[in-house]
Amino acid sequence: MPERVDRDGTPAYRFLGVEVTRREAAFLVLGVVFLFVIPDIASLSDSLQLSVIHQGLLFGFVAVGLNLLLRHTKLTSFGHAAFFGTGAYATAVLARYAGVQSVGLLLLGAIAAATVMAAIIGVLSLRHTGLYFALLTLAFGQLLYAIALGQSALGGSDGLPIRPGPANQPLLFGTAFSPDVYQVLTYYLTVVVILIGLFVMYRITQSPFRNALDAIGQERTRARFIGLPVRRYVWAAFVISGIYGGVAGGLYAVVRQYVRPEGTLFFLRSGDILFMAILGGFRTLVGPLIGGVVLVFLQDVGQDITQYYEFLTGVVLLILVYGFPRGIVGSLRSGGIVNARLSELRREPSVLSTWGRTAAQSIERKVTAALTSLRIILFGVD
Amino acid sequence: MLEARNLRKSFGELVATDDITLEFGKEEGELVFIVGPNGAGKTTFINLLTGFLSPDEGSIVLDGDDITGMSANGRVDAGIARSFQVVKVFEEMTVRENLRTVVLTEQGKTWSLFSMADGHEEVESQVEELVEKFRLEDAADTVAEELPHGDRKLLDVAMSFGLDPDYLLLDEPTSGVSTREKEYVIETIVEVGRAEGVTTVTIEHDMDIVTEYADRVVALHQGTVHGVGPPTMLETDDELRRLLLGVGDDE
Repeated sequence: MPERVDRDGTPAYRFLGVEVTRREAAFLVLGVVFLFVIPDIASLSDSLQLSVIHQGLLFGFVAVGLNLLLRHTKLTSFGHAAFFGTGAYATAVLARYAGVQSVGLLLLGAIAAATVMAAIIGVLSLRHTGLYFALLTLAFGQLLYAIALGQSALGGSDGLPIRPGPANQPLLFGTAFSPDVYQVLTYYLTVVVILIGLFVMYRITQSPFRNALDAIGQERTRARFIGLPVRRYVWAAFVISGIYGGVAGGLYAVVRQYVRPEGTLFFLRSGDILFMAILGGFRTLVGPLIGGVVLVFLQDVGQDITQYYEFLTGVVLLILVYGFPRGIVGSLRSGGIVNARLSELRREPSVLSTWGRTAAQSIERKVTAALTSLRIILFGVD
Repeated sequence: MLEARNLRKSFGELVATDDITLEFGKEEGELVFIVGPNGAGKTTFINLLTGFLSPDEGSIVLDGDDITGMSANGRVDAGIARSFQVVKVFEEMTVRENLRTVVLTEQGKTWSLFSMADGHEEVESQVEELVEKFRLEDAADTVAEELPHGDRKLLDVAMSFGLDPDYLLLDEPTSGVSTREKEYVIETIVEVGRAEGVTTVTIEHDMDIVTEYADRVVALHQGTVHGVGPPTMLETDDELRRLLLGVGDDE
């Protein structure tokens, strides 16, 4: 049962090691309920598609895993789609060539494959840090992409369908459901997996292991000299984050019933995953997940509106980096920039005109600077 | 006993450590100070002992075992801790979190993925003890990067002590600290070191401090041992005085 504790004067509740204030508990319950009613909302609305949100959640889940590296060890992996793709392809291969029909077994296969892949890529790329580490992960990711593209056994660029045995789709609880029901049920499976994954990640980020990772991220040399075998810890974190990718990839394959190299292993997927973590707020636990949903939704809507939807993504990224570097969740939570600005506005509405003036001034400055640069480029210095 | 046997290390043309043979901790808990002009090889020597650098020749022996090839973190486990001339602490953590991280590591708890970092009672009591010993109570919940310089130095040293070392190698723990705080930092080090029987080897430029606290002084010059002796050596050895005060043809 939840236990009452005190956190800096505000009453909080602790249950299974998760400590939340009343406000946070309300958000938590609301969020979980929202996740569970999304299929109903989606069935009422035309613009909101369950499959889009589902895909967003899955990629967001990879970003949650990636975030363990990004937030604590401060390593930027540019190849996390590798684990997503490994999970997806392992599922496809198991279904097609080994005739595995149960979703549970397929997912276990995906996890095992992603773990092994992360262990190997980790050993090979963690000899380096910073830019070289990022480039190595990118290179290994592209290597897997090339293999999937080139191997006819893996379907080449056409990809692999997942239709195990005589059943039209994988079995849930040993039963074949109609496609509509199957979509909703797998969505609920994803929600359950995500909730477990978030809980596990939360506990990891409260544990002594997190202290070790933070130490390594903040001052690597000192971490060695307090007795931490640095590379082993980073490797463990890398494998854990890879497992998150594998789980998501396995679910993706089970849901889509089809895997293609472009959708799962291509390096732009790795970039998307990194973007999701930053968009949602990589200093928070659930930020990457929300970033995933928002980005996939934006890309989907953008595709309908304009053929230049990539442009839209770029604009969002610019607004984010300049205006809200802490991401969606980081900016919205108490003490974040949005709350601070709102309370300022409530206290003194006239502050709006000041903001307008500052914004106009800074835009004017930047335009002038840009024009000057342009003049110098075109006509040279006079 | 921690021994350096015929240690040599050169960087290209420059021989930083030239055949140094020394021993520390023959008497448990002794306070050794290393003195010498800039470029004498003091920091290189400490880097060699702690595994930050590996020597070109010679060996390092701890209680009879050759540890020359041991990793830096292995040496910490074996009981050799160090601090750096430029403070290296975990900047985004508070003082307490810094110390907690150190103590968790020392007690081998950092592989625990599902316990609470602040839920280990033995660790917490040791952290509180360190906070008290180094008089960091007021700063305990301050993030390291916001600490005044003196406290940062103290935190750095406290972290090294938190590793429960047998040998502690301190690279200028008082550099950049105001004169008033200097005494305070060094006194704390001496006090805690004596109380716990830690053999400390400290690089120090302030001769008043060396004279006041040293059990033994090691003077280095151009990568070699110029002399080893009691702190009175600083008064009696004229050549050493000339080297350290920087008067004469060397400077």
